[in-house]
Amino acid sequence: MSAAESTTGGTTGGTADVTAESTAGGTTHSTTAPPRPTARPPGFGLLRTGRRASFLLHRRAALVALALTAATAAVCVAYLCLGESFIAPADAVKALLHTQYGIGQPTPNDLVVGTLRLPRMTLGLLVGAAFGIAGALIQTVARNPLASPDIIGVTQGASAVTVGAMTYGVTAFAVLPYLSVAGGLAAAALVYVFAWRGGLQATRFVLIGIGFAVALRSITQLFLTKGDYLVAQQAKVWMTGSLNGRGWDEAIPLGWALLFLLPAVLWAARAQRTVSMDDDTATALGVRLGRVRLGLATLGIVLAAMATGAAGPVDFVALLAPQIARRMTRTAQIPLLCSALTGAFIVVAADLLARKLFAPIELPVGVLTAAVGAPYLIYLLLTSGGRGRSGRNGGTTA
Amino acid sequence: MTAPTTGRLAARELTLAYEDRTVVDGLDLVIPDGEVTVIVGPNACGKSTLLRALGRLLKPRGGAVLLDGTDLARIPTKKIAQTVGLLPQTPVAPDAITVADLVSRGRQPHQHWWQQWSAEDERAVGDAMERTDVTALADRLVDELSGGQRQRVWIAMALAQETGLLLLDEPTTYLDIAHQVEVLDLIRQLNHERGRTVVAVLHDLNQAARYADHLIAMKAGRVVARGRPSEVVTAELVREVFGLESVVVPDPVTGSPLVVPGAPWQAERAVGESADASADVSVTAERG
Repeated sequence: MSAAESTTGGTTGGTADVTAESTAGGTTHSTTAPPRPTARPPGFGLLRTGRRASFLLHRRAALVALALTAATAAVCVAYLCLGESFIAPADAVKALLHTQYGIGQPTPNDLVVGTLRLPRMTLGLLVGAAFGIAGALIQTVARNPLASPDIIGVTQGASAVTVGAMTYGVTAFAVLPYLSVAGGLAAAALVYVFAWRGGLQATRFVLIGIGFAVALRSITQLFLTKGDYLVAQQAKVWMTGSLNGRGWDEAIPLGWALLFLLPAVLWAARAQRTVSMDDDTATALGVRLGRVRLGLATLGIVLAAMATGAAGPVDFVALLAPQIARRMTRTAQIPLLCSALTGAFIVVAADLLARKLFAPIELPVGVLTAAVGAPYLIYLLLTSGGRGRSGRNGGTTA
Repeated sequence: MTAPTTGRLAARELTLAYEDRTVVDGLDLVIPDGEVTVIVGPNACGKSTLLRALGRLLKPRGGAVLLDGTDLARIPTKKIAQTVGLLPQTPVAPDAITVADLVSRGRQPHQHWWQQWSAEDERAVGDAMERTDVTALADRLVDELSGGQRQRVWIAMALAQETGLLLLDEPTTYLDIAHQVEVLDLIRQLNHERGRTVVAVLHDLNQAARYADHLIAMKAGRVVARGRPSEVVTAELVREVFGLESVVVPDPVTGSPLVVPGAPWQAERAVGESADASADVSVTAERG
């Protein structure tokens, strides 16, 4: 290549390739595809800030994040409006502004919107986001799309400790969430320690997690049969995961914790990239695998334990949200932001259904999360063909 | 036997073991700079284990691997990755990753969270894809490729790392003969044009003899012979290392030693005609 050619290539590269690629983005690539203007991974846009800083941004993931935000906002509005009494969106907004920010006049809907629905919805958003990220991180570390907090013992640890505490007379709602967080963390830590053998092997991690989960589940059952009938029933509700009767008391600490963990989540979003290869390749590329995995797993476990502490083990969110998000974005990694948004959407939508479906009887949200997420995941699995599937074989043939 | 005494990468009293099975015991080795070193030996002789240790994938039980005189264990792994590249035997790609994305992962040791794509990355990835002839596949999914294409993509990833030292564990597996030759030529070209030091484990003794500047023959964790292929590869060595009777003749194209195994098994060996034929071969074998 001559000097002239290389300079033109270098100067036009910055602007021209963006449009060229975005038009070719979704199409299938035939043999007559024009020569690539850049060696940059396809589907990524380049953000330059300052002289040296540069960030790769997955275009489709960014669009999906925007769409998910819009969808979640829409379901939130519906959540505030629908219920035993219908409140028009405009009135709901008025009540929201008055109760939260003191803007405008008191309205007759203040109690329903501001005190009953809003705190519960906020908790749903936070719990969903936390489970979404936790599931994404645990699936990344375990290299298994079926891994989730209930596979590696977080949920069962939280259940065992919480139900145990209930059985022995601890019923204070100020204490129970902290106990279940502690239980989840302790169980996951034990799994991690037992799975560690000079390094963390993904299969071992999952298998030992399953073992612990089974053992802890029987301990929980033991407590349930041992304890009082009423306590057992209360415990059952907790174990299904419910937002009923919960609100700011749970949402505020969880919100602060998520904010506090945000830098760690940002780190994880980048670090995730590095652990998706096999161990040898990742090490050869200069990744400190042990540390990165420990960091990712710890973050995922902490998030899952906190979400479980706030709302009980809301089933399937951590399992479904990352897989749905990934199939929508078609990225090589599980996208963290989109997982969080998907999780938040699923929980709020499921809780809306849980309140509305058999009103006035309320179902625990955990019963419906799977009903909301699973059909969509199945649809994606059926329609997405070779994109985003796991495993090396199968899928589309060229 | 010409064993080099200085080189950037060296092993000193290296002992390697899995669990309680010692594979390599007290090995001293220097990788000659700017040359293509090929390690050969029978299955389970410890050649891949040695390569893994040279690339810090396996922690030595005793002794050390030295990079520029410093124990690898004392150098941050990202720093090593800027100098030593390694392609494992069976690398696994993330699901649903595109070719260009995978090749660009090779730039990881040169990147930071605030510097995810520099002009240098662009050049290195483009260059690596061009050299391995995968540019046309850039937008394809790695999962959809054939074994040969996939292997070239992995090699492109290792090239994009742009390290002075490149370790390759059986880079020609899964490739047909044309692609094998292509990959080996590429290795040689990198070595000649850019002065890269290459260490490769190869299964095929003849390919090793053709492409190596420096050959290391291993058996049961020991180095049996090392030096220029023309000096090292003999019928005696093949017998000692592989337990195979063979004839070593000059390669008609390159003049490097060519190992021709003894006569294949024949059912009618005892019958008159074919007995003559096998007698012919044994005569040739004796001459060799």
